Amino acid sequence: MNRQARRAYDLLYLLTFRELKLRYQDTFFGYLWSLVRPLLQGAVLYVVFSKIIRLDVEDYGLVLLAGLFAWTWFHTSLTLCVGSFASNGALIKKVYFPRFVLPFATVLNNGIQFALSIPVLIILLLWRGYVPDWTWLIGIPYLVAVQGLLIMGIVLLLASFNVYFRDLEHLTDVFVGLIWFYLTPVIYPLSIVPERYQDWLLILNPMASIIEGWRDVFLQNQIPGLSLLPAIVFAIIFAALGSFSFRQMQGGFADAL
Amino acid sequence: MPSDIHADTAIAFESVSKHYSLSLQKEATDVKSMLLHLPRFLSNARRPFVALDNVSLRIKRGESVGIVGPNGSGKSTTLRIMAGIAPPTSGKVIANGRVVGLLELGSGFHPQITGRENALLNAVLLGLTLAEAREVLPEIIEFSQLGQFIDQPMRTYSSGMFFRLGFSVAVHVKPEVLLIDEVLAVGDAQFQEKCMNHIHGLRSQGVTLVLVTHDMLSVPKFCDRAVLLEQGRITDEGTPQQVVHGYLARVEALLALQVEERQRLKSAQAVAT
Repeated sequence: MNRQARRAYDLLYLLTFRELKLRYQDTFFGYLWSLVRPLLQGAVLYVVFSKIIRLDVEDYGLVLLAGLFAWTWFHTSLTLCVGSFASNGALIKKVYFPRFVLPFATVLNNGIQFALSIPVLIILLLWRGYVPDWTWLIGIPYLVAVQGLLIMGIVLLLASFNVYFRDLEHLTDVFVGLIWFYLTPVIYPLSIVPERYQDWLLILNPMASIIEGWRDVFLQNQIPGLSLLPAIVFAIIFAALGSFSFRQMQGGFADAL
Repeated sequence: MPSDIHADTAIAFESVSKHYSLSLQKEATDVKSMLLHLPRFLSNARRPFVALDNVSLRIKRGESVGIVGPNGSGKSTTLRIMAGIAPPTSGKVIANGRVVGLLELGSGFHPQITGRENALLNAVLLGLTLAEAREVLPEIIEFSQLGQFIDQPMRTYSSGMFFRLGFSVAVHVKPEVLLIDEVLAVGDAQFQEKCMNHIHGLRSQGVTLVLVTHDMLSVPKFCDRAVLLEQGRITDEGTPQQVVHGYLARVEALLALQVEERQRLKSAQAVAT
C-alpha cells in the first residue's frame, strides 16, 4: 500500500472510532442507545401495522426488523453525510488530507451500528424458531458490499454537490425520509405490493431489492443471487458518478467553504 | 522542462494566479454545478477578485523564506496553494517532498476527546501514517509539557495548552517543507523560546521553511530570504533586512503622508472657519 493510501486508511479508522466514541461518551447506556432507537422504532411500527392496521404478514415483527436495521444504515448515512464537507469547512480550509475520508467514516460508523444490531435480530429470530446457517456467511458480506458501494457512491455525490448547493441537505432529508422510505419495502414486504408494480419497484429502486435480499438471508437462509442485479447496476453507476463529481469538485472545496 | 532544474527546488510557482469570484463566493468547477446554480449565475454578475497575480517564485531545498506584506496581499493564499489545499486558477506549482502546512494550530481538535487521542489524529491529518504517529506520540506529549492533562478531554484545556499541543504535533510530523502562517507566538515566553529553538533545529536539519508573518523581527531571525507581496504581486525580494526595511519605510512614508494629508485638511478647515 502506498503512503497516501495507507494514510487515507488510517484516517478512516481514526475518524470512525472517534465518531463511535463521541456517540457513546458520557452516556450511561452507551452502546445500548444504538439498539434502542431502531428497536423502539420497530416496536412502534410493529404495533401500528400488526395490531392496528393488521397487515396479514407472517412474523411481521421480524420481516420489519430484517429490513429496518439495514434501511437505518442507508438512511442515517445519507442524511449525516450530505453535510460532511460543508460542515467541516474549518478543517478543509486549513489542512490538506484526502477529503473523502470525512463522509466514508460516517458511512463506516453507521455500518458498524448496523453490524451491532444483527445479534439482537439473531436473538429474536431464534426465539421465533429461525435458525441461521452457513448461507449467512456469504449472504451478509454480499449484501454489505452492494449496499455499502451504493451508499458510498450516493454520499460522495451528495456531499460534493452540497458544498455548492446547500439545499441538498434539506432535499435529502425530505426525499429519503418521506419518499424513498415509503417506496422501499421496509415497513411492508414486497409480496403485498400489487404484482404489476413489483418488478418496477425492484428495477427502479435499488434499496427495494437490497432490503428484500436482507430478508432472504435472515428469514429464509437464502443467498440473494441475481435478484440484486438492479441494485448492483445502480451501485456501480452511483459509485462512478460519485467519484467523478468528487474528483472534479474537491479542488474547489477550500475556496467555496 | 528538464527535471534537473528542479532537483534542488522545494517549491516553485510558475506564473501562478488565483482568482476568487466575490459576489457568489463560489466557483463553478464544472458544468453540472454551474447548471445547478444557473438561476444565480444569471441573476448575479460575478466580480472576480485577483488574490495572486502572475506570481513566480522558487524556494530551494533547505532554504527559509519569509513572506511579508499587508493584510489581503495574498500571503495566506500563497501558503494554501503551496499546501495543496486550493488549486491555482492558472500557472504551475511544483512541490517536492512532504509539505506540511501549519496554517492554524489544532485544526481538527475535538473538545470531547483527550489530548492524546487528538494528537494522534492530528498527526495523521498533517501527514503521518498511524504507525509513525504512534511512534512520535511520546515526543509530542513530552514537548507539549501537558503532563497529566494529556489524558483529559481537550475542553478542559486553556487556550495556551490547546495551542501548545497543536504546535507540538505540527513540528513533530517530520515535514520536508514546513509552511507556517502566523502561529509562532504561542504559549508563555518559555514555551515560545522552546518553539523557536525547535524551528532553528528543523532548519539545521535541512527542512525548508516558508514563514508568513506580520512580526517583522522574526523574519530576519528565521529567514535566509524575504519576499514582499502587495496586492497579489511580488514587489520586492531579497535579504530579510533589506525587504523588511524597505517595506517598513514605505509603510511609514504612507502613514506620514496620511498624517500630512489630515493636517492639511484640518488647517484648510481652520482657514475656512
